[in-house]
Amino acid sequence: MRYWPAAYSFSFFLLSGLLTVSLLQRNESPSPTASAPLTIASPGKVSPSDLSALQAHYKALSHRLARLKPHEPYILVDTARNHLYLKHRDTILLDALASTGSGTVLPKPGKSAESWVFDTPRGTFFVQSKLINPAWVKPDWVFIEEGLEIPRHQADRIEQGVLGAYALGFGKGYFIHGTLYTRLLGKNVTHGCVRLNDDDLKRVYQVAQIGTPIIIF
Amino acid sequence: MLLPRHRPFLSIFMGMLLLTTPTTLSRAGEPGPFPDLDMNDPASLQEATRVLQEEITLAGRHQNYLLIDLVTKTIHIKGRGLDLYRITIGSWSFEAPEAADRTYRLIARPPITRPTIDLTVSSERIPLSLDDMPTTYTLSFSPPLTIEVRPSDEGNPLHRLGTSIVTSWRTLKKWVRSFAVGPLAGGTSTEPVPYLVLKIPHDQAKSLAWSAVDGMPLVIRRPPEK
Repeated sequence: MRYWPAAYSFSFFLLSGLLTVSLLQRNESPSPTASAPLTIASPGKVSPSDLSALQAHYKALSHRLARLKPHEPYILVDTARNHLYLKHRDTILLDALASTGSGTVLPKPGKSAESWVFDTPRGTFFVQSKLINPAWVKPDWVFIEEGLEIPRHQADRIEQGVLGAYALGFGKGYFIHGTLYTRLLGKNVTHGCVRLNDDDLKRVYQVAQIGTPIIIF
Repeated sequence: MLLPRHRPFLSIFMGMLLLTTPTTLSRAGEPGPFPDLDMNDPASLQEATRVLQEEITLAGRHQNYLLIDLVTKTIHIKGRGLDLYRITIGSWSFEAPEAADRTYRLIARPPITRPTIDLTVSSERIPLSLDDMPTTYTLSFSPPLTIEVRPSDEGNPLHRLGTSIVTSWRTLKKWVRSFAVGPLAGGTSTEPVPYLVLKIPHDQAKSLAWSAVDGMPLVIRRPPEK
């Protein structure tokens, strides 16, 4: 019975030590070595202390870069191979066949120098809206492409049931949404949005939250 | 013997111990972004830290960026610090690598003929795809840097001959220029413009052409000088 206090003390000191080491390793953001460039005039002749400083600098920068990576689930879109991945760190939660931008050009009528380019935008975006049973508000180019007159009333632009059961908006009118043309999945056929089949879309909708990163390349 | 009043504290201690230990061990053993890096080679370390410094700035932005790692012969298409896609370099050659110590921006992506929808001719839409991408092209950056991409698996002898002529012409021009601004001509030397030639597999050259968009930043990790 008298050995238990000693066991507690040992556990306490061990735990304190480990916590201290752990916290020290995480405390790298404000250190001057992490932000200022560290250069050594002639790398061929380096003292052990300079080498240690370089090693510490490298480790601090590595941790800073690691912290910039998404730590929550994120969406990755490969426009070249038309795949959408739902990932969490290095784990692939979903690998879905998608359709992305066709890359075609549609000249704007009456404006010889201007045109629409149907590319899926590249870079990092964030889920800005989550919609259930979304209605499509058709932009001007839809009517021009179909040789129709651009409607005067907003109500004439709205079409139900073509975007699937869900849509995730990521800015400037771009969405991840469903499609009626599932045979075209895996091809570059869209006007810039990302299309998925119903099951994959549902999974993405369930996992993604407002603010979930969408990285497109 | 464990007293009942001590049990909750012991459970908390052991729980925290279990949570802390793997974290500490994994962090200590992390290889960092460059697993190949010799931590005892100052020149390699200095280059790796320079690249990391540039990457941290780029990873904080919304734009994707390119990291060409000549040490591991890999092109990384990156965003938010994540490796989005990797391309293996077959071989490379680099003129004036000493000057390539900064972040570059792509001025113009490889020339691509985009299909234009002509409503008067046909309603058929022919999309642009990866197969439409070129395999031999030049990427120009600002500040001045040129990257010449060639397929490493090119089999056409005429193509190879053409490439050799271009390389020879470039070497000749460089020689003439160095002579013209050299001490004999009494001129002052200008800053050398880095010129990188990358040979990558045919399909990967297309992938790079697809992903390289205007304004895309680029960082190059150079091997240490021998």
